[in-house]
This record gives sequence, C-alpha cells and structure tokens, in this order.
Amino acid sequence: MIDARNLTKRYGATLAVDDLSFSVEPGRVTGFLGPNGSGKSTTMRMIVGLDAPTSGAVTVAGRAYGSLRFPLHEVGALLDANAAHPSRSARNHLNWLADSNKIPRSRVDAVLGVVGLTDAAHRRVGELSLGMGQRLGIAAALLGDPAILILDEPINGLDPEGIVWVRHLLRSLATEGRTVLVSSHLMTEMSLTADHLIIIGRGRLLSSGSVADFIEQSAGHHVKVVTPDADALVVLLRDKGAVVTVDAPQELSVQGLESRDVGILAAGAGLTLYELSTEHASLEDAFMDVTRAHAEYRGTVQHVAGSPA
Amino acid sequence: MTQALLSQGTPAAVEGRLFDVLHAACQSEWTKLRTVRSTTWALVVTVVSTVGLGVLLTALVVGHWGQQSVYVRNGFDPLLYSYAGLNVAQLCIGVLGVLVMTSEYATGVIKLTFGATPQRRVLLGAKVLTFSAVIAIVSLVSCVTAFFICQALLVAKHAGLSITDPGVLRAVLGGPVRMVLIGVIAIGVGAIVRHTAGAVAILFTVLLIVPGLVQLLPAPWNNDITRYLPSSAGAAMSAVVRFPNLLAPSAGFFVLLAYAAATIGAAMVLLVRRDA
Repeated sequence: MIDARNLTKRYGATLAVDDLSFSVEPGRVTGFLGPNGSGKSTTMRMIVGLDAPTSGAVTVAGRAYGSLRFPLHEVGALLDANAAHPSRSARNHLNWLADSNKIPRSRVDAVLGVVGLTDAAHRRVGELSLGMGQRLGIAAALLGDPAILILDEPINGLDPEGIVWVRHLLRSLATEGRTVLVSSHLMTEMSLTADHLIIIGRGRLLSSGSVADFIEQSAGHHVKVVTPDADALVVLLRDKGAVVTVDAPQELSVQGLESRDVGILAAGAGLTLYELSTEHASLEDAFMDVTRAHAEYRGTVQHVAGSPA
Repeated sequence: MTQALLSQGTPAAVEGRLFDVLHAACQSEWTKLRTVRSTTWALVVTVVSTVGLGVLLTALVVGHWGQQSVYVRNGFDPLLYSYAGLNVAQLCIGVLGVLVMTSEYATGVIKLTFGATPQRRVLLGAKVLTFSAVIAIVSLVSCVTAFFICQALLVAKHAGLSITDPGVLRAVLGGPVRMVLIGVIAIGVGAIVRHTAGAVAILFTVLLIVPGLVQLLPAPWNNDITRYLPSSAGAAMSAVVRFPNLLAPSAGFFVLLAYAAATIGAAMVLLVRRDA
C-alpha cells in the first residue's frame, strides 16, 4: 500500500508535482502513466525518500519511508538501472545492498537466479549489456523480498523475451498479494500488464481507475462502416443523433450508435454494407485524449493569465 | 501493539535500533570499499609513497651527512625525513576519501545507498568509521615500517631515534592519526561538493597551494597562520623537534580534529537537507 496525500514538489519556479493524491493497492499491478516530464520519476523519488516533498506526504505501509530502519524488507525500488559502480561485479553490487539491510547472502543467489543472471554474476557491471543491467536493477528491487515494488520504466533496454518476462514477473508479484507500482511511457505494454492506472500530466492527477474503465470513459469505442452508399447513410445516422466522421470516400466512423443499430438502419433503407465492425480505442488513444485535453486546459489558463486585465 | 506493528510493515523493515542500522551500514560500506579496484590502487600508492619516499630521503641525508652544516644537524628531526612520504600519502588518501562520496553521486549509486539507509547521518557515520578503520590500519603499518627502516639507517650517524625515547611513540602514532583525519576531511568535502573534480581541487588547494601562499605573507603572519593550516597541524603531531611554524603536538591534533568535525558536521546538515 502506497498512499500519497496532496504531494507537491517545487524546484525553484517549476512545479514538478502539484497536489497529487493517490493510493496504490496491494494485489494488482498499478501502471503509472504520464508524458515525459509529467512528474512520474519525481513522485517515485519522493515515495522512497530521496526527495523531500515541498508539501503533502507519502507513506509506504502506513509509514514515512525515512522512518524505516531496514526499508529493503518492505519496499524494493528500481529508479535508475544504471545506478551501479561499473567496476564492481554484479554479485558484489547485490552483496553490499544485502549487507546494508541485514539480508542473508543466500537471497543474493536467489534473486540472481530469478532474473537469469547467475552465469553473469562474476562479471563487472560495466561489462553488462543494457538488458542485463536492467535485470540487475530488478534483482536489487527484489532483494529484500518486499511487499511493495516501485519500478520506473523496468522494460527499458530489454529484448522482446525480456519484456514478456517482466510482464509475467509483475503479474505474479501482484498475484502473491504485493503492491506493484510500475511506470512506463509504453502504453501498449501497460495495457497488457497493468490492472489499474494512475495518469498524471504536469504533476497533476488526470485519471485513476481500472484500465478497461479508463479506455471506455475517455476514448470509448466507435463503429466502422464501409459502404458504397455513404452519403445516404450519413444522413440517416445523423437523424438518429449519431456523430459521424467520413474517414475515406466509402468509410465512416460512427459514435453514439452500436453496430447492431447501424446494421438495422442500413437494412431498413436497403443500403449495401461491405464492412460493419466495432472498434475499441487503444490505451494509447485514450491516453492521448486525456493528456491533450489537459494540455489545452492549461494553455487556456496561461492565456487568460497573460492577458491584460 | 504487535498487531499494530504488523499492519504497518514487515517487522524486519520496521524494527531495529539506530546502532543496528550503523552496524549494517558499516558492513555494507566495507563490502563497497573492498570490491572496487580504486581502493586497492590508492592504498598501494599510499604504502609505497610513505615507506619509499621516507627511506629515499633519509638515505640521501645519511649519504650527505658530512656536507651538512652543524646548524642543520642540530635542528635535525629524524622523523621529519622518515615521514616525508606522508605529504604524498595524504593526497592519495584524500582522493580516496573524496571518492567514498563522489563516486556514488557520479554512478548514481547514492540513490540506492540512501534508499537502503534513509538515516543519512548514520550512513555518513558508517562511511567515516569504515574508511577510518581501513586508513588507520594501512597507515599504521606503513608509518611504523618507514620509522624502523629510516632509524636503522640513521643509527650509523648516531642520529637515530628509539621508539622508547621520550615523545617518539607519540610522534610515530601521530602519522596514522593525521592520515585518518585527512581522510575524514576528504569524505566531508566529497559529501559537500558531490563532484569528484571539484572536491579534489578544493582538497589539493587546501593541502598544497594554500600553505605556499601563506608563506608569502609578511612575518609574523606567515608562521602564525601556517601553524593552523590542516597540513601543518597534522605535521605537528609527528614533530620530535619544535619548529617555529608548528603547533605543539596535542594542539596540532585538536586543530586537525576540529577541521574534521566541522567538515563532517556541515556534510551531515547538507546530506539531510538536500535531495539525493
């Protein structure tokens, strides 16, 4: 359980995180989404006590991170996979982390096995590939067998097999009842991995809810129709109150009516249909919708503020 | 009570005294120190320069004994030459001490370190204790080695010291104490500056350049100020003969200790106040 209340972080004139409140529940994968520079990493840094909030607070398991004595037993974090001394071996990198939190060295071998780095354990971190470095970062997050996992862009630099592996790993960690917060800019990946989403833009909360609800509410779905009688059908559909856009000479996109209704309407008027299908928006579409609306809103505010009053 | 604790985090994460955190952090810092190459190299150079330069300069003095004026021989401090290498060794230890902090900022490891040990003052304490222990052992061995070889060379000229002579044991131990305190100051400077090049530049300026500039001041300012510089305060601990530009050994110790305490104190305030 991660609980953020009115979390705010200001760097000079820049408001990186703006009155952000959310909670991350155990037993599911929570995706943390936002455009670049939206405050995801800053928020994660505040959760693990690296940056102090300007105001507001965030707790892990009901406590401030800084009050934990040996936090790796409670919270595992991957914030920067490059954060390792290049001349230290992969195993020694995990050894010092284990020592700092009284974690037995047997766990080092265990997590090296989990991420598939057992054979590379003796190699210096500087010699590891991008993907192996990412796996080492995930191993470090898993080291203390924590109930809460915070992973910033965990699939960066991984090959397709590695991406599938992370997806299964995150799902199984959530199934075990752990709290999993994972940020990514890859929307498609999020739609496959996450159960729940927290979406931020310019440091503010834009949306929070299940992945399915989010897509439905923001972008919804539309009906795609391909017909040689497009002009006639558009008139009929608009009479019924549907919003119709003409995508191509014979292709329509219909919102506000189900495909069943469109079919009945066309049949009643004797119109020929080549294709009739329901198209669900992707998480990417939904995300674009939400962040675009937000950007426009912000733009308007700035315009008003800038005009002479 | 137990129920309340369990609902608020794993006992392993929540329980523990600050002393346990310090103990674990010391073990962690020891693992860090001995698993990078720079530690070994810096310590090898420290030992070689301490023993090598001390023996070389003492041998040169012995070789040219007949040519030295009586005045120089009367004011001759046998330990000054044995410990000449410490002026180089302190730079190696200084760089290594700076790296204890700055290499973590350069590689991003500091995020993991603070994440693993959020009690940042305890963490800095662990770094100081661990590094001090390593430097104490290495410099004690190299200083004692340099002392006995050099005094054996000087025996032929009846100018050698015995460890049992008054004040000599104190002067010999002053070498390792000086090296430890320089190392602690370096960790503090590293923690304050957070960049290797900047921290090393500041440290070298204080240890090498400032003493030379101060000597250019008109008397008696030059000697009055020189006495209180870290390099002179450190050297004073190992003086067997009193020099006008050096403090008494105990005063030298306290002045250098004050520099170390002030640097670490400032570092602790900044580590807690600043974002990682």
